[in-house]
Amino acid sequence: MNRSVLLIGIVIAAALVAILFMGLGKNPAEIRSPLVGKPAPVFALREVGTNRTVDITQYRGKPLVVNFWATWCGPCWEEHPILVANARMYADSASFLGVVFQDKEDKILSFLQQRGSSYPTVVDDAGKTAIAYGVGGVPETYFIDAQGVIVAKHNGPMTPDILRENLQKVLPQ
Amino acid sequence: MIPALGRLLILGSLLAAAAGAILGFAAGRTRSAEGLKWARRFAYLYSGLIVSAALLMVYALLAHDFSVSYVAQVGSRSVPTWVTIVSLWSSLEGSILFWGLVLGTYIGAATFLTRNRYEEYQPDAIGVWLACAAFFSFLIAGPANPFHTVPSPPLDGPGPNPLLQNHILMAIHPPFLYLGYVGFTIPFGFACAALLKGRLGHNVLKPLRESLMLSWIFQTVAIMLGGWWAYEVLGWGGYWAWDPVENASLLPWLTATAALHSIMVVERRGILKGWTITLVQATFLLVILGTFMTRSGVFNSVHSFKQSAIGPTILGFLAVSLLFVIGLLAFRIDKLEPEGRLEGAASREAMFLLNNLAFVLLTFTVLIGTVFPLIVEAMKGKQMSVGRPYFDSMTVPLGALLLFLLGVGPALPWGRASREQVKKALIPPIAGAAVFTLIGYALGVRSPWTLITLAFGGYAAQVTLSQMFLPMIQRMRNGEPLGSALIDGQLRRGRRRFGSYIVHAAVVLVIIAIAISSSMRTQLELHFVKGQTLKAAGYDVTFVGVEQRTEPHRLSTIGTFNIVKDGKPLTTLTPRMNQYQMMREPIGTPDVHSTAARDFYIALSNVDAAAETASISVFVLPMVMWIWLAVIAMALGALFGLIPSRRVILSAAKDPVPEGATETA
Amino acid sequence: MTLAVLLLLFQLKVPDAAQFVGAPQGTPITGAVLETRTNEIGHLLRCPVCQGMAVSDSPAEMAVNMKGQVRELLARGYTEEQILRYFELSYGEFVLLSPKKEGVTGMVWVLPVLALLIGAVVVFFKFRKLEQALPAATPAAAPALEDPYLARVRDMVGGDKP
Repeated sequence: MNRSVLLIGIVIAAALVAILFMGLGKNPAEIRSPLVGKPAPVFALREVGTNRTVDITQYRGKPLVVNFWATWCGPCWEEHPILVANARMYADSASFLGVVFQDKEDKILSFLQQRGSSYPTVVDDAGKTAIAYGVGGVPETYFIDAQGVIVAKHNGPMTPDILRENLQKVLPQ
Repeated sequence: MIPALGRLLILGSLLAAAAGAILGFAAGRTRSAEGLKWARRFAYLYSGLIVSAALLMVYALLAHDFSVSYVAQVGSRSVPTWVTIVSLWSSLEGSILFWGLVLGTYIGAATFLTRNRYEEYQPDAIGVWLACAAFFSFLIAGPANPFHTVPSPPLDGPGPNPLLQNHILMAIHPPFLYLGYVGFTIPFGFACAALLKGRLGHNVLKPLRESLMLSWIFQTVAIMLGGWWAYEVLGWGGYWAWDPVENASLLPWLTATAALHSIMVVERRGILKGWTITLVQATFLLVILGTFMTRSGVFNSVHSFKQSAIGPTILGFLAVSLLFVIGLLAFRIDKLEPEGRLEGAASREAMFLLNNLAFVLLTFTVLIGTVFPLIVEAMKGKQMSVGRPYFDSMTVPLGALLLFLLGVGPALPWGRASREQVKKALIPPIAGAAVFTLIGYALGVRSPWTLITLAFGGYAAQVTLSQMFLPMIQRMRNGEPLGSALIDGQLRRGRRRFGSYIVHAAVVLVIIAIAISSSMRTQLELHFVKGQTLKAAGYDVTFVGVEQRTEPHRLSTIGTFNIVKDGKPLTTLTPRMNQYQMMREPIGTPDVHSTAARDFYIALSNVDAAAETASISVFVLPMVMWIWLAVIAMALGALFGLIPSRRVILSAAKDPVPEGATETA
Repeated sequence: MTLAVLLLLFQLKVPDAAQFVGAPQGTPITGAVLETRTNEIGHLLRCPVCQGMAVSDSPAEMAVNMKGQVRELLARGYTEEQILRYFELSYGEFVLLSPKKEGVTGMVWVLPVLALLIGAVVVFFKFRKLEQALPAATPAAAPALEDPYLARVRDMVGGDKP
């Protein structure tokens, strides 16, 4: 029996199978954000349909949910009512802010008119805020605590459970 | 009715394969002729059942029988017939069934073609083939079953993924790819049989080599078609992105190429048997790895199937195969004793040894780059990428080494060579190197790696051309006229040799074309308003207008551009931006004008139908067409070499050939 | 340009690379060089919404925005390292197509070189072993491998040798 062949073979085989096995069950398209635990990048953007500027620093002192979305994104349509309802429910303890990018002003306005709105929505024209936040696609939602640190990020549409779960992380205990 | 019949056929194929495998291995141990006969019968039975099942599915697709789950998944009444046939392999379950169809055909043919020969190896080979067949039938019967019954069949279906419907290559690339991938199972069977018997004799080398070569030919063409398809459809001006699924098709090709070369040393000198067998085993294992990578959802790729439950099952089969191969090698490799020796460092055998090393290194590099993100994520929980910049920098030096060996190897004689012989062999081709490099430099090549490629390529070209026609030249030296020297020396006999040198010449062309098209390309971005003409790398481009077309699954925005060169109208190009309903991001389809010298390639990056403006990326890519044509020449050369010449040998034995007509390689 | 006007008009602020990597450490560039460098750096960044494509190669709007951001930062004088670091801080190491040459990640650059060295050693020893192997009893081509009749016929005809 050739010992070196056996040894080398088993080492290679075990390593390969172990690596591939650990890869199973993980979704390679889900990218984890490196900004979790870091201060949320500061921005001041224009509110859609107005000339008002909304500065993120004005939300300090209270937990903030920032939701990046767009009107052409299907899952964003689904999650919008959930966000609107929860924004009302948690109005005392947390603020909500929507950021739209890669979209047209009139489309955003008609969307909000049709489907309701309970919190400000700002426009990020060249998507630079999205880049700073490491937004890959829409919808993506960031949960920021009262001190302005990103505590959690969720990729994909919001559900009531996920929203509640993440809000618990930013709300005072 | 059809779903139940399909399930029955699949189950039958699974049982036939399992029974046949057991019988095959048993007959291999007991050397029973009766056992072998029954193993062969089960091989034919498996083949017939799985092919019938696949044809049944094709029938169901064409008949739009939506009671079959797979037809309900990918069938549609509103797509052209060729799309309906092609949807057999467009989605996961169908693709495994297609795998079964190709495997069944291969096993049936291989069993038939070996029917009165290689009896020593047949039982084990059949055992291995049918064991693999049983696994795939198990997949089709279980996790990837396309024959489920749909309780209330719909009236129509969604059709296959629209991305797969817009190019005819969808009908050609996958079949070639499967003929390659699946075909590697046959030489694998012979290699295992050789190990089990403890002998790698001439009588198993021949079917091993020929089945390996045939699959290699298909795989070579398949890889080229994949690159061509990406080039024509994806719009970034390139043909190879080192995407995990692309790498999956390249890995077994690399080890198969190494094995095909290593076999020559076994035939000539009786050495490197263990290495050759290991390379053939590795090829098969990489095929299984490749199919795991494509179907498991573990890798992020443009080409992969959707994530499914069969990933773990394929991984299980990979693990079992690995254990089987390692066990076989560990316990039997020492039985394959060398029957000769190496005579010196400046010999062709030594070059083949280096060749093996270079190919194995290349395989290792591509493999480690592909799986490295998984390793890092497992070890550190961190997500990272290994992309084109890595692969390009790592593979270029290795490619240069291979090109170097392609020149030096065939120049050196077999066996011990005197210093004079070595000098006579190695020095003249330097002229070829100089010529190619100077021509390249004169035409503007400045990139160091491209100049090195031209030098090695020129060297290799001279060696290849002089070796290629040696038989004919020798016959002419002995007084034979050109006509018969050509036909007898190159075409009737010595086909294998001539074919191999054609392949080598084509490889030199491919590598040079790839190097030139990468380092000498021009890329520009232009912004137009309607009617505007801009200059791009010696061409005049006029933006004529935008058109929007709504098709069943997508909205296409088409830009029309007139191209004029040196005052003469060249062509009109219509690149598109396709927004598919099911995809978030648009996919741009470029338009290309190809000539022998270069490709003029336009891709839309931004187009506003309302404002009538367009932004495009323009690529001028020299020598790209040569890549596709040279690969086809590779396949044809190899095919030519496979044409059997048995009749010639037998008839020539009756009428002896005049002295001096023997060739020296 | 429009953005600059808007920024002035509405006192808008967009998050800046300065927040992440500080002041520019190189010199601003313009013109054709700017385009070439943008393209080059764009080939080192991964488009997060396309499967594996580089930012320079993708028509997706996200990729176009990222490329625009690269161009702007280059024009302001940021170096390649700073630009790559900026994207790495907001997207993670995932966005770098060329693996960083440090730490665990850097191993991917080392392993093939290691394999080359080990391979060379293995080949060297194999070569030595094959040189010392006992020569076959019969001379020259293919000893006990071939059927002797076939071997004779082959020699007569001179066909099918590689």
